[in-house]
Amino acid sequence: MVTIVNYGMGNLRSIESALHYLGVACVIENRPDRVAASEKLILPGVGSFSRAMANLRSTGLQHALEHAVRSRGVPVLGICLGMQLLATRGTEDGLTDGLGWIPGEVVRFTDRNDRKIPHIGFNTVARKSQGGAMFSGLPHAADFYFVHSYHFMPLAPDTVTGECEYGEPVVAAIANGNVWGVQFHPEKSQGNGLQLLRNYCGGTARC
Amino acid sequence: MLKSRLIFTLLLDAGYYNLSRNFRLQRVGDLKWVQENYDFDSIARSIDELVVLNVAKAATSDIDALAAQVRRLGEQCFMPIAAGGGIRSLANAQTLFQAGADKLVLNSPYFEDPELVRELVRTYGAQSIVASLDFRLLEDGTRRVYCRGGTRDTGLKLEQAIKLVQEVGTGELYLTSMDRDGTGDGYDLESLSMASQLASVPVIASGGAGNYAHFVEALRSRAVNAVSTANLFNFMGDGLRDARNEMLQDGISLTLWMPF
Repeated sequence: MVTIVNYGMGNLRSIESALHYLGVACVIENRPDRVAASEKLILPGVGSFSRAMANLRSTGLQHALEHAVRSRGVPVLGICLGMQLLATRGTEDGLTDGLGWIPGEVVRFTDRNDRKIPHIGFNTVARKSQGGAMFSGLPHAADFYFVHSYHFMPLAPDTVTGECEYGEPVVAAIANGNVWGVQFHPEKSQGNGLQLLRNYCGGTARC
Repeated sequence: MLKSRLIFTLLLDAGYYNLSRNFRLQRVGDLKWVQENYDFDSIARSIDELVVLNVAKAATSDIDALAAQVRRLGEQCFMPIAAGGGIRSLANAQTLFQAGADKLVLNSPYFEDPELVRELVRTYGAQSIVASLDFRLLEDGTRRVYCRGGTRDTGLKLEQAIKLVQEVGTGELYLTSMDRDGTGDGYDLESLSMASQLASVPVIASGGAGNYAHFVEALRSRAVNAVSTANLFNFMGDGLRDARNEMLQDGISLTLWMPF
């Protein structure tokens, strides 16, 4: 059973629809005790980093997530903002502490003449050697749907499992043991995204 | 590398889908009709994004009806869905996001209630907002922007409107030429090119596509990041799948994905 964490940020229904399509049992959950006792987690999210962390704190879900992911070693997949929250801190609307499960910082794309911001659309993700489990069954370079203005700058390069190019290399996917994160939206990336979700939901989910 | 996008736009009015020509609507059928007469699975696997617009002229628009359509469409497609038409409050926005919309399409609020747009940007981020601008070429050569489904003159030139929506906040521009809308004569490339130079956000071309060559032409011009069509009849049956294949053969950089 996959638990989709509902903390008032983001499009939960499309993740649910994708998992239904794959035949994966899932539940959308906002109760901290249920999240703490979950077997496998998806942390979605759209919106601002600081608001998301404020919501996680005030609802008690941050504690519940800490218990599940850190104490019990439950796999978690952060999607888009959910991936960014895995970082040590974010810079959107002022400096905010993140969950801190993958060391790094989330910063805004710098304005440049040769690219539009936000980074919106399908972009090709080149898989890193550590991305085997995450990208299993997919071509070495596969397209996924991105929509973001901030991006994850990890401290340790070996946590990066996939990268894309947008005027500069952009971290598209990261992993640290049971903690996975993707900047793109697998639930919005047609067959490629469904395959990645299948890898997470069906596999052991460890990188 | 970032790929170009092929977008399909559904025009919804009181539960029915419509064709539009120069913003005059013609009802063609309900969702069931679309599903029966078009292989929706084929459409859903042939495009990169879906836009659903409530184009009802009624003074009070029904967000719940739009949300219901978004919910049903979202169960069958795994691509981004942008929805809009009649969003007048934060609660309306919430309803659409909860129904499965990924982005909101906003037009009149930029001119009539910019504070609402600012609040939506603060809440959901600019990347979740698409500013839709409908423009008409005037005899003096200027491009005038209209809101309320093309019925109200904003008094702004396209250049001014682009500046305004970027100041208020947006993640994308969806630009529709009212003159070309539904004609099948091709996009207004000159206007799109001008707009793109002013825009710091991605630009979606709308209004005028009659066949795949128009998509290719617009994307090759590099004026736009995405092309959209709302013409159900020009791309009937396998029309969108065939158009996508033709575009790929012509060297347009579109996404390929695993069959599912």
